[in-house]
Amino acid sequence: MLYVWSISVVVLCGLSFLLSILSYGDILRIFMDLGLVGIEASGLIVLMLGLAVTYTTEMDQKAIFLQLAKPVTRGEYLLGRILGFYLINALVILGMAAVVIFLVVFIGGGQVPALFYSCLAFILLEMFVLNTLGLTLQVIGTTMVGVVLYAFFAIFLGHLIGEIQWLLQMQLTPLIKGVLQVVYYCLPNLEIFNLRDRVYDPTLVLTWAQWQDVLLYTFSYSFVVFLIGWINLEKREFR
Amino acid sequence: MDKSGEKGIPLKDQLWYGKALRWAPAALVLFFIYQAVLSDRLDSWVHQETFQYSKTQRMDAKVSSTLRAAAFLCGYRVLVGHVFWIKVIQYYGDVENSVDRYIKLYDYCSLASDLNPQFVSIYTYGATALAFHLHRIDEATMLLEKGIRSNPRADRLKYLLAAIGYQHTERYDLIIPVLEEEANRPDAPPILVNILANTYKKVGRYNDAIKLWKKILTNAQTNDLKIEAARKLQELYGMKPNNGTNP
Repeated sequence: MLYVWSISVVVLCGLSFLLSILSYGDILRIFMDLGLVGIEASGLIVLMLGLAVTYTTEMDQKAIFLQLAKPVTRGEYLLGRILGFYLINALVILGMAAVVIFLVVFIGGGQVPALFYSCLAFILLEMFVLNTLGLTLQVIGTTMVGVVLYAFFAIFLGHLIGEIQWLLQMQLTPLIKGVLQVVYYCLPNLEIFNLRDRVYDPTLVLTWAQWQDVLLYTFSYSFVVFLIGWINLEKREFR
Repeated sequence: MDKSGEKGIPLKDQLWYGKALRWAPAALVLFFIYQAVLSDRLDSWVHQETFQYSKTQRMDAKVSSTLRAAAFLCGYRVLVGHVFWIKVIQYYGDVENSVDRYIKLYDYCSLASDLNPQFVSIYTYGATALAFHLHRIDEATMLLEKGIRSNPRADRLKYLLAAIGYQHTERYDLIIPVLEEEANRPDAPPILVNILANTYKKVGRYNDAIKLWKKILTNAQTNDLKIEAARKLQELYGMKPNNGTNP
């Protein structure tokens, strides 16, 4: 985890330095935009690497047998894994955020935009959804490669929700429309959490009503995914 | 039910756990519907910004569609925007492109601003190059108007638009409505109001210019501005035709 964090910090600083030399415009703005991307990217790297490594230890090397031999239900086991994974992920994200704030405020002499903290909270919520999804896929998946690929595509396609909605408004055959609708409602709507792209948007108004909806969406989607994982884990036979 | 329970390790909440597991599929369906409703509701405030189709269409369509796909697929639209902005700067810096007078500059700036609408430098840099170097005033104006729509509080863009209109074009019919709208805002910067008054004078709308300078004289917070307003009024009264009507 420390390696991932350190590498993310070095890459972030290097990229920001390079872009600030090549680009024209507000250097601190570029740095803040890159910083927000770096914060989320480091969380995603930790998640993907964590999924790959723990699949090998838990499922392939049968470490899960030890856990389930204890007086712990399978639901508790899954919930514990999700929370543990999430706390590690949150630690990396908060660490990166501290680096970004330090560099912008103390080195750059600038100010952190008002929406930065909301954006950070949204990234943490997004990570909660993705952690739950990733670990559920780990429970369902039969190979490490499959789990990583499913998680990878879910993350990428989750950002395309807006485009899918745009497609749904077009004149399409009922079959294609039906398939798109299923995809639209099954994939996590990651654009909901995308405040990164609008952190400097003066027209964006983030009220309690929106916060409430985002929080409810996070927990209801995560709960659905958790239930799928739990039911699957209950039915799974370990040999 | 957990297998460990069957092998003799007692679970305190075994009964509760069994019931919860039985109700899990029903809860799953309910919460799935609820998250779908929330997803629909939240979409209205998240996806507000769309890509605009270029009005000049001089850019290769592949560039535009590839960048859009990359931006949406990876979810890092602003990052793609910053990287593309460097390419735009390089395009403008490349002397070879001066052969066709940087024909794609407006389209590139427009696409960069679609990807990163709040990055004000795209509009200032692009509009300055288009208006002052390439003398493509209409494109500079379009870019700045787009920038003002995305960044209503960026006064720099309003000044630049006013400056371009005032100094480099005869298209006052386009510039004046924009300036009037901005000048009528409660937070309109004084310099913008001055530019509008000077533009009125330039097109011969002396009565409107006098009205505006009177307003500036009344509301001015500094003596310098009051003196300037009084001087302008004196000058305008001297220039105004005797019938006092706008030409």
